[in-house]
Amino acid sequence: MKSVPKLIRRFVGILLLSSILLVILNIALLVIFTMKQLPNAQPWQTAEEVVNALHQTADGNYVLTDEMALELNEADVWGIFIDNDTKQVVWKTDNLPDTVPTTYTLSDIASLTRGYISDYPTFTGEAENGLVVLGYPPKSFWKHMWSSWDYQLIANLPKTVLTAMIINVTVIFLIYVIANTKLLKSVKPITKGIQDLSIGEPVQIKESGLLSEISANINRTSDILQSQKYQLRKKETARANWIAGVSHDIRTPLSMVMGYAGQLKDDTLLSEEERQKAAVIVKQSERMRNLINDLNLASKLEYDMQPINLEKQNLIAIVRQVVVDFINMDIEDKYPIEWETDETLTVCHVNADKDLIKRAVSNLLQNCINYNEQGCKIYVCVTATGENCIITVSDDGVGATDEQIEKLNSTPHYMVCDENTTEQRHGLGLLIVKQILSSHGGDTIVEHSIYGGFAVKLTLPMI
Amino acid sequence: MDFQYLKNKRLLLVDDEQELLDMVVSILKEDGFNQIATAKTEKEALTLADNFQPELAILDVMLPDGNGFSLMEQLKEKGEYPILFLTARGEDEDKFKGFGLGADDYIVKPFLPKELIFRIMAILRRSYKGENPLVKLQNSEIDFDRAEVIKNGEHIALTAKEHDILAVLYRNAGRIVTIDALCEAAWGENPFGYENSLMAHIRRIREKIELNPSHPVSLITVKGLGYKLIAGGN
Repeated sequence: MKSVPKLIRRFVGILLLSSILLVILNIALLVIFTMKQLPNAQPWQTAEEVVNALHQTADGNYVLTDEMALELNEADVWGIFIDNDTKQVVWKTDNLPDTVPTTYTLSDIASLTRGYISDYPTFTGEAENGLVVLGYPPKSFWKHMWSSWDYQLIANLPKTVLTAMIINVTVIFLIYVIANTKLLKSVKPITKGIQDLSIGEPVQIKESGLLSEISANINRTSDILQSQKYQLRKKETARANWIAGVSHDIRTPLSMVMGYAGQLKDDTLLSEEERQKAAVIVKQSERMRNLINDLNLASKLEYDMQPINLEKQNLIAIVRQVVVDFINMDIEDKYPIEWETDETLTVCHVNADKDLIKRAVSNLLQNCINYNEQGCKIYVCVTATGENCIITVSDDGVGATDEQIEKLNSTPHYMVCDENTTEQRHGLGLLIVKQILSSHGGDTIVEHSIYGGFAVKLTLPMI
Repeated sequence: MDFQYLKNKRLLLVDDEQELLDMVVSILKEDGFNQIATAKTEKEALTLADNFQPELAILDVMLPDGNGFSLMEQLKEKGEYPILFLTARGEDEDKFKGFGLGADDYIVKPFLPKELIFRIMAILRRSYKGENPLVKLQNSEIDFDRAEVIKNGEHIALTAKEHDILAVLYRNAGRIVTIDALCEAAWGENPFGYENSLMAHIRRIREKIELNPSHPVSLITVKGLGYKLIAGGN
């Protein structure tokens, strides 16, 4: 959404720049044009020349030099000389039209100086005792007859021009904004739609306005994405439900196996050997129970169907409870658990789903038991590093090779297993631990235990 | 542990599968329970609730003519006794629903006989403690109703906190109870930083119940984890 104001800024910037450029260009053009088209003073000069070229002969008549007369004739210009005293025409060229009067009043003279005599633009030149008037052919010159301005107008000219320019720019800008608002309005939902598409949200843009076609395409894309998402989700849900259903259906028959075997195991009427056999059945059905629980949880975590209720929890209390539950269960004391947490560390707060973290830790303890049938000592320790709470579960049992540990660390936590399925015979315990930790933003590290066996380190961010 | 009187409680079992009922009955009988009635449907269960007057009910969630949750609500209307679920439905939502409706426990199938017995006994002990007020320890007896300890014929009063702590330990007699669970029992939810106070209370309890508080035989420390009460006299 950040790109739209940027776009608007860019547009407005271009607009302002082009307006200013346009104004500068116009002024430049005006200057060049007016430089070339200065008010044409040439007829006035000609009139002056005629005055100079006009001589009074001895008898009082006026004579024009030949070359001047020729020049006037060639330009089709007529001329007269009006005497100062009599206001009579005392000299005229031969081509003087009849319509030109021969007697003038003062007002006639004022009028012809400014303007025309019978459509002939007239120009004057002052002589010693009269006035030379040259008449140019009609439509050869345009004369400015009312050449006066209000003084204020001229005095305020720079201000006026500036104001006019500002008004111009504002008007252009307004027109532009109004014209573009509509476009931007239709662009905005489209950019929003594309952004929503990228995060997988359903998008429905109104298919109207200038860009309705693009909107329609985005809507269609969104529909396709949503339906694909739905299909995928449906498949995942079906798979998870199937697993949940199977594990549910196994529970009741398994409880009968477990129940009777458990009874036989403790039946004093049976021989030691028979009770031993019953004990094996109990143990194996317990493994099956763990597997069912794990399978169900693993599939739910994998398909994001397990609700994760994050709450502020004291990790130490959670781990302590799991350890105590195991100690309470292990009646034969075949798997003694050492609590190695520093006694001064009593609280380590994390944001966690209590049941899931319990599950992760008990899976680790259960793993120690599963892999060390002859029994082993288990060491549980919680430490705080300032940023993280770290749970370490280690044992002094059979342990694992470097290769196996490397493999356990590098295997992704999700339920993909294309290679040899024999890998899965160790159950889903560690997979679930990894899933749970990753859903909490934590880490699972498998390593050699300092006690000689296997160790798993769970890291959770502290709050 | 002399909880023999609890074995005489009337238990009602409801599950739609006859074989499972048979098995649970056999487990319970083996452990000494002698008054057990079974029902396969909600209707049967309700009839039995009137005639048999159970003192503890164990229900399956899925029944042919209804479900355990609604059955529990109907049973609760008829009488006040603990109810626990024994079901194949292990989903957290089901558990929460069960507890939310007032179930006393929720056991997910499959289960080991000793787990089932332990859970039933824990509930019975909690619900029917009044009938046998004296809890025998190695060197003393605890009277929870009167909040006192009787040692060598001498009656020693317990404070409220000491009583609460001992009650939780007794309910889990023979098992370790974590420091956190004890603090929660005494100071309410999310107790932090009460570890030292707890130690002080434990010391005072030992002075009351033990012959030699420095060498406890009834209230045992499990280093770093919690405490364990060994019930039963000699």
